[in-house]
Amino acid sequence: MSRLPLSLTIALGILALAWFVSLRQSVLFLVGLGMGGILAGARFGFTTGWRRLIEQRDASGVMAQIGLLAVAAAFSMPLLALFPNDLMAALGPPSISLLVGAFVFGAAMQIADGCGSGTLYKAGLGIPLNMAILPMFMLGSFLGSAHLDRWLSLGATPPIGLVNEVGPMNAFGLTLIGLAVVGALALAWSRRGGSGEAPRWLDRRLLIAGAGLALLAVLNLLIAGQPWGVVYGFGLWGAKIATAAGVFDPGANAFWSQPGNWSALTQTVFLDVTTITNLGILAGALWISARKAPGSTSLTAKQWAIGLLAGFLLGYSSRLAFGCNVGAMVSGISTGSLHGWIWVAMAFCGSLIGVRLRRHFSF
Amino acid sequence: MRTRTAALALFWIVLLLFLGWDWLHSTPVNHRQELPLIAAGSGKAPTGGHCSAF
Repeated sequence: MSRLPLSLTIALGILALAWFVSLRQSVLFLVGLGMGGILAGARFGFTTGWRRLIEQRDASGVMAQIGLLAVAAAFSMPLLALFPNDLMAALGPPSISLLVGAFVFGAAMQIADGCGSGTLYKAGLGIPLNMAILPMFMLGSFLGSAHLDRWLSLGATPPIGLVNEVGPMNAFGLTLIGLAVVGALALAWSRRGGSGEAPRWLDRRLLIAGAGLALLAVLNLLIAGQPWGVVYGFGLWGAKIATAAGVFDPGANAFWSQPGNWSALTQTVFLDVTTITNLGILAGALWISARKAPGSTSLTAKQWAIGLLAGFLLGYSSRLAFGCNVGAMVSGISTGSLHGWIWVAMAFCGSLIGVRLRRHFSF
Repeated sequence: MRTRTAALALFWIVLLLFLGWDWLHSTPVNHRQELPLIAAGSGKAPTGGHCSAF
């Protein structure tokens, strides 16, 4: 595939968005395009980084993620304090729903070999399983949002935002301490390998990619007024299709009858921030794949079935967990939400199970 | 390779069909209510949906 016609088509899409929708959405599509280009170009995988740490004691992916979080927090926290009415943090409630959702998500992302952003960019690259997972992700995300009130009734506390609680500088300091502790633990684990080889913990390509993603996430916050997210858009697509098919009544649902969500259902998805950046990520990854298509292994029928089930669980659990690696981890932690830290702990425990399941099913 | 290209083409066709269907069946965009390019400093509270929403 040649990049020239693809570049022209993408440019046309950006102009169409600016003309028919809004200038803000066209710029956000560009931000998403950059995210997709970096994710696919550097093969920056949150899932792979965790798996390499667990299985190969290679901490380089996790270190790049820590760098991403530190850079994003360094900009996001002061900005949230500077524009408290214009910008919002990714504040999810610590809850039973979060504990269950993050654990299941952590396991499912290892089987499906992709989190929210990972599934998107791998689908954009044309990897068959991830393309097939996307509709399942959408279905799960929709059902998770529709059932969210029942999960929250099991027990939840109000969201805790560090920027509001202790101020931006203290919030950033606490975040850096937390990241340093995680980094030290990852490094200690990688040094326990005992293989005689020097432990891997720095990868220049991944570090640069992480810093690039962090800056784009900050741009997303500045332009859209909300942090980078992935799964809300999928749930919205599912809710729209289910409503149009007559199998879902959003007016009778606790989540979708809320004014903001109801409004999102009636207007075009081109006005939804997460949809626009998701489309940008897909297009950015497609542009990367135009030069060099990725190789993919063929799967058995059983592996396909398990992969698709994992995709459904990714969508469902990410709504229960108030985000995926992007919405909960990157956006939650970088904007000072306590739920982001709980998400990481639970999702990592889930990943410990997930990598074993992945091996068991010979992925 | 050919199968991958066909699958990728099918993926984008389905996605574009969905986006086209959505555009035709949604409330038309009201350009008079267009949000400012940059939210920061606009004085307007963000209204978009996010994954952390409950």
